[in-house]
Amino acid sequence: MPEPMGFFTDTTVCIGCKACEVACKEWNQLPAENGGVGELSGDSYDNTRKLDGIHWRHVRFIEQFKAPYDGRWLMMSDVCKHCVQAGCLEVCPTGAIIRTDFDTVVIQSDVCNGCRACIAACPFGVIDVNPVSGTAQKCTLCYDRLKVGLEPACSKACPTDSIQFGSIAELRTRAHKRVDQLKAQGVKAELYGADPDGALGGLNSFYLLIDEPEVYGLPRHPQLPSRNLTKSATFSAASAAVLGVLALVGLRKRRMDEQSRGGGGAGNV
Amino acid sequence: MNPPDPKTKKPVPKGKWVGYDVPDFAVTKAPDAQPKPDGIGLDALSGTQPFIMRADGRGWLFVPAGLVDGPLPTHYEPHESPIQNPLYKQQTSPVHKVWAPGKPYNKLAAVGDPKFPYVISTYRLTEHYLAGAMSRWLPWLAELQPELFIELGHDLAKEKGIKNLDWVVVSSPRGHIRAKALVTHRIGVMHIAGKRIHHVGMPWHWGWMGLSTGDVVNDLTSWVGDPNVSIHEGKAFVCNVEKA
Repeated sequence: MPEPMGFFTDTTVCIGCKACEVACKEWNQLPAENGGVGELSGDSYDNTRKLDGIHWRHVRFIEQFKAPYDGRWLMMSDVCKHCVQAGCLEVCPTGAIIRTDFDTVVIQSDVCNGCRACIAACPFGVIDVNPVSGTAQKCTLCYDRLKVGLEPACSKACPTDSIQFGSIAELRTRAHKRVDQLKAQGVKAELYGADPDGALGGLNSFYLLIDEPEVYGLPRHPQLPSRNLTKSATFSAASAAVLGVLALVGLRKRRMDEQSRGGGGAGNV
Repeated sequence: MNPPDPKTKKPVPKGKWVGYDVPDFAVTKAPDAQPKPDGIGLDALSGTQPFIMRADGRGWLFVPAGLVDGPLPTHYEPHESPIQNPLYKQQTSPVHKVWAPGKPYNKLAAVGDPKFPYVISTYRLTEHYLAGAMSRWLPWLAELQPELFIELGHDLAKEKGIKNLDWVVVSSPRGHIRAKALVTHRIGVMHIAGKRIHHVGMPWHWGWMGLSTGDVVNDLTSWVGDPNVSIHEGKAFVCNVEKA
């Protein structure tokens, strides 16, 4: 079995060119929203706004300015995180979502029945229904390209190597070196999702950020849908117990009422 | 003894080129090295010819021939400017090109024209190519930059009562066009020669065919070019901005 593979996205060198978005759409033959006819969003240079069934890569633009020219323009290419403990995989009722031999998470379009459970289960809001197929879709980490020894289309297209593809072990080493380098330059740099003991067992697409995760639209503590299991199970068991007791009490009361009316059960039939 | 390296201040080993310039040949080639008469490539260079991109192999402070202007660089104002040149009495380059001078389709604003008080720069985006004749038809690119916009600072937007995504009319002596406003702190007020001057910017990829459409920004630009390679002065000219 090959090693776990994934992305390391160094947001400090992203130039916001969106080559990754286009390369992804071209390789995976994803349609443009409304055939490409749209309106200006007014949100910096971001006109696609989100990850969904037809946008498997999305470049976020964050303008942090105090006054004219006084600030910075953060850019970040976002994608499915290919979580080691994946919420979507946990809830999929048909088994359409699988973990691959590259330790990535892939939705098999021919098995998906479009129930949308995974859309709600993803802590990052990555998945949505592709209107063409009618099934839930997201980044496959170019499984078809990996199978023949090619790197994913987005990282191949990235002109600044902001998106780097490789084995997770090697990418983590590289990422830690880059953080040290940036910290030596006085930049507040942190890795998001690189810790195998951290949230969701680590993310196989992890990021180098220079601000809080929330600034980039990433949850600080991403959680699995199974976080609710213990609570829900306890509530269910408690409800069952309470209802059971009430039922017994009710039955007993009914029998006592019937007896006090002086009749046996038989006379009332 | 070699002088210390000016970058690191550390003593450098003898027999090595040091300094801000990096020679194109091996750093250990001595200044008194002679070219080999039948040498090929770098062997044919003497130790006093470290820069292979120059005909004489030497570093140049200025270009002595071949340019219309020069030899040393200096500052001139663009043909259309809100201010007098703060450096010289000579306002603009005396040898810059003006196409169709005096024609009605190439009217040029006088220095400090109050009708056109703002500086405008035009530029490209990564999503489109040139005037967009190819890229605006391609759905994957059109959805990334779907409409023409003008980037303007919060201060100017406030002065003119323009909100993000409002339609604005941008005019220059050559014409006027409409675009949606993108209000941002990435562009704003410049303080030049004691004046407070607003700066606005527009990408020029649009036209009225294709999936992503908008007005033609080159309807605004001046027909002025640089003296040597005739590069159009689209990075700096003047305009006015009003809410549509």
